[in-house]
Amino acid sequence: MNTPLTLEQLARLCRDAAGSHGPRPAAAPSGFAELDARLPGGGWPVGAIAELMSDAPGIGELSLMVPALSRLARAGRHIVWIAPPYLPYAPALAQRGLPLERVLLIQTGSLKESLWAMEQALRCPAVGAVLGWPASIVDRNVRRLQLAAAAGGSLGILYRPPEAARESSPAALRLRLHAAADGLAVEIHKSRGGNAGLTLRLAVASTAVA
Amino acid sequence: MSGGLWLCIRLPRLAHEALATAHHAAGTEAAGAEIAGAECGGDRAAIEAIEAIEQAAMERLAAWAYQWSSRVSYRLADGPLLWLELGASRALFGGYGALLAKLTAELTQLGYSHACALAPSPAGAALLTQAEEPRCVTTLAQLRLRLELLPLALLALPPQVLAALHSAGLRRIGQLLALPAAAIARRFGPAASLYLQRLCGSASDPRPAWRMPAVYRARFEFDAEVRATTALLFPLRRLLLEFQGYLRGRDCAVLRFTLQFEHYRHPASALTIGMSAPTRDAAQLLLLARERLQLLQLPAPVSALRLQALEFTAASVLQGDFFGSDAQQLQQLQLLLDRLQARLGDQQVRGLALEADHRPERSWRLVAPQPPTALPDLPAGVRPCSLLQPPRLIEAPAVLLSGPERIESGWWDGGDATRDYYVARAGDGARLWVFQDLARGEWYLQGLWT
Repeated sequence: MNTPLTLEQLARLCRDAAGSHGPRPAAAPSGFAELDARLPGGGWPVGAIAELMSDAPGIGELSLMVPALSRLARAGRHIVWIAPPYLPYAPALAQRGLPLERVLLIQTGSLKESLWAMEQALRCPAVGAVLGWPASIVDRNVRRLQLAAAAGGSLGILYRPPEAARESSPAALRLRLHAAADGLAVEIHKSRGGNAGLTLRLAVASTAVA
Repeated sequence: MSGGLWLCIRLPRLAHEALATAHHAAGTEAAGAEIAGAECGGDRAAIEAIEAIEQAAMERLAAWAYQWSSRVSYRLADGPLLWLELGASRALFGGYGALLAKLTAELTQLGYSHACALAPSPAGAALLTQAEEPRCVTTLAQLRLRLELLPLALLALPPQVLAALHSAGLRRIGQLLALPAAAIARRFGPAASLYLQRLCGSASDPRPAWRMPAVYRARFEFDAEVRATTALLFPLRRLLLEFQGYLRGRDCAVLRFTLQFEHYRHPASALTIGMSAPTRDAAQLLLLARERLQLLQLPAPVSALRLQALEFTAASVLQGDFFGSDAQQLQQLQLLLDRLQARLGDQQVRGLALEADHRPERSWRLVAPQPPTALPDLPAGVRPCSLLQPPRLIEAPAVLLSGPERIESGWWDGGDATRDYYVARAGDGARLWVFQDLARGEWYLQGLWT
């Protein structure tokens, strides 16, 4: 036996250890009917990567995801935050129906570690969604994460700077997010199997007392 | 009567294959040539070293075999042969066919050439490993019928006895068995007669039962020093598969095990690998070991690898033994947590929990990733998804969208806070969670409506 064969066997062992599940739905409802109507399959692309390019932090870019994350978590899957720029605030997530025991917060020391951790988490069938904030990412790595998401049947969300919209990306879905007076303006920049170029206004998490 | 049913495994290339793994790791070739060279050259030291490797490999295989039988024995001469007594465990494994298939698959995975046979006597099973199929008989009558047609040369008798039998005109085992036992003893010696009775199961054949050691220690010596940690993975995989057999045999699991690295010119170094939940799954153990090995800086090239486990836990509801989807998810999650913690450190992998405190910065905490037991009450006001820790001093905001929400708390622990919280809007459209400290009049940014 030669070394490449051994590594191949190791890879097989890893795959066997990870186990496999039956088919999963191809989309996770976003919780916003107007958005779901525009997304292929009627929701966020499960088993793929979605890129969210927000004009600024704090305009509702995470609130946009929270209904879908809550739904995935209540279905028993874990939600993994990889090195977020701000602390996910536990009382707010709990208020929005996200069971905290399904939340994992991973701190990393480098971009390389973040990508590694993101890939591991996406591959894990016990994980429903993984959120990452890579400072920069090349197409090859997006593709790699997409394969991991497909293997794990999970949803990968990459928060990227607005300038990333100028480059192409293999991600299945790319949205630009703009601040709007009454919520969030969501521009579909790229949608595999769907239509791009549309802008929707969504009333993401209200700041008013319920 | 010897009683029971014996599975015998012949491992004709045990020494070669144990050594080949050592060579493989060291990146060298030709284990067979080395063994042949040692034997031809009569190099006593080299032969002893090879025998020690063979003995160590057999000890690990005996521990592996113990998962299927509490009566395991082996013999290194003329074989080597490994026996498992199966009478009592037949029902456990869904019949012999399923057991044989599993055993054969694992031996192949371990990288050992093998031939298996099943018979109601240990000597009979050993003989059948060299015969053509069928090699499985379950009654003494079937065994006798099977043996009768086989050539005499298969008998485990000294060459001079076989030569004497041949010159007496005997060719098949049946012809010899037809002779009276007393006549055989007289003409070919009492040892030959006893062997034939044991072969047919008419005389008892006591064997020293292999004892399961209370702690697990396995050692793997490399034929040349290994520099790359990736080269350790190949022998480690075999060690862990054998270790899995030992754990199954003892019906237990481990929470941690230690890998020790021996070096020629440096004291031994060690790596302890811990799990978040007990396991005995070789694939999982290998994944964790691989993560840790990737980060390991070895002080010197490795001459031998040891695996040691001193503490064991009961195997109650174990991963891999239980196929409910919840248990499987838990197992997969544990695997993920172990991998992340192995590479990034325990403190980098956390969960979130609520705290019963009105002060926003104290109403949450990081916890080990475990399900919380009880949930404190949620705050009445709506909270933003992201928190700035600690709050950042800011200028008084220009645009306040809503508020105030008065939060007073902490007078009892010195963390006095009387604050009015507002939602403010920044120039770029971001919504901010800000408060004014009423004691000092200062404004702080504490959260973002991400």
